[in-house]
Amino acid sequence: MATYPTQYAHPEALVETDWLEKHLKDEGIRIVESNEDILLYDTGHLPGAVHIDWRADLQDSIIRDYIAPEKFARLCGRHGITPDTTCIFYGDKANWWACYALWAFRLFGHENVKILNGGRDKWKAEQRPMTREVPKYPATNYPVPKKRFDKEIRAFFDEALTHSKSSKPLIDVRSPGEYKGEITHMPEYPQEGVLRGGHIPGAKSMPWKTATNDDATFKPADELAKIYLDQCGVKPGTDTIVYCRIGERSSHTWFVLTYLLGLDKVRNYDGSWTEWGNKVGAPIEKSV
Amino acid sequence: MSRSCGKLDEAGVALPPDGAYPAKLGNIINLFESLPEDERRETLVSYADNAKNQEPRAREKFDLADVRKDEECMDTVGVYLHVDKNGKAHIRMTLGPEVQTLTRSMTAILCKGLEGSTPQEILDLPSDFVTRIVGAELVRVRSQTIYYVLTRIKSICKVYLDRQRMAQVA
Repeated sequence: MATYPTQYAHPEALVETDWLEKHLKDEGIRIVESNEDILLYDTGHLPGAVHIDWRADLQDSIIRDYIAPEKFARLCGRHGITPDTTCIFYGDKANWWACYALWAFRLFGHENVKILNGGRDKWKAEQRPMTREVPKYPATNYPVPKKRFDKEIRAFFDEALTHSKSSKPLIDVRSPGEYKGEITHMPEYPQEGVLRGGHIPGAKSMPWKTATNDDATFKPADELAKIYLDQCGVKPGTDTIVYCRIGERSSHTWFVLTYLLGLDKVRNYDGSWTEWGNKVGAPIEKSV
Repeated sequence: MSRSCGKLDEAGVALPPDGAYPAKLGNIINLFESLPEDERRETLVSYADNAKNQEPRAREKFDLADVRKDEECMDTVGVYLHVDKNGKAHIRMTLGPEVQTLTRSMTAILCKGLEGSTPQEILDLPSDFVTRIVGAELVRVRSQTIYYVLTRIKSICKVYLDRQRMAQVA
């Protein structure tokens, strides 16, 4: 009979709402809000939290890629972040975008990163303090990262294709309808222009939300292990690629696999279905 | 209707003259265009805060109600139309809790800006003004959703006018 972990591999990667309320003014931390709803931060946020927009701040506006290392350094400097700062990310949608921002920070090598378990929704539901006051921190001189960790935590189209052909673990974290090819975007979300519906051949379907409880917190370690190790067939030491539509939902799953289950070879294919579904020559699979 | 013309959009394409918009809406457009980006965001949030004030009030009666959940929006949106004896439209809206802030902003802006216009004026409204209110930066990052509220309001006006025409034919 299989045994499952009783605790997260990296429990330090999570902070609870109760803890954070008591440490809002701690030196050495920076609370970062990142949302789907672009104006949500402006309507009220955690005291002291800064806002990082997943598209405007983290993505290059000309090339489909992340910002240059120089821009990342400027972004951090503007928010008073140093390489030693512990960035605690939170946001709406059970922390999708918070995980995406965290993943992007890891891409640039920022090491001290955490997620607020339950995110903005739990904080608000617990009626913890919110403010509209935008904090100002003394600017820092964040050094320009010498490398980007694409090779370690990011997958590109060719790598995902090789992965698919060699039957290595691929997890599609979109909704079942998207996976089956019945729809090409999330239910309730605007169509973002994908020509074909379906999934990468060989990918297993495990919607991101499977990893969360109703209050947006992460499920316990043993439940996560059953979901991903048993049902998706991922295991330590095996290359695993996760993807969704543009890489945001799969950042959530990447965080679960990397930090909560402690798998060390997980990459996020941020090109995801908006690239694969449109790519000339890319094979797809549909299922019923 | 307010008057002035000759404005160009960011691509250098001529915008409709301000006279193409109802006066109240024209004033709101002018206000937003005069604001720097941070104040524009603050003003959008202020309008979002007021979206609840656009809900139907007790004892109000409507000629048409259209309450539905579309794929383009995160939650249910209700549009209620009353056309008074002078042919002027009065619009109320209800928004589900998951509706995003920008959609809430547009709800308050449009309910206020279109108050007292006729259904035909609303239907004829060019949609370019939405980008002038929201601003280039927010349009760039959320271009898919900013037209949703206007589309819903135009849709209920079209149904109203179609029914009026059919009633006249009959």
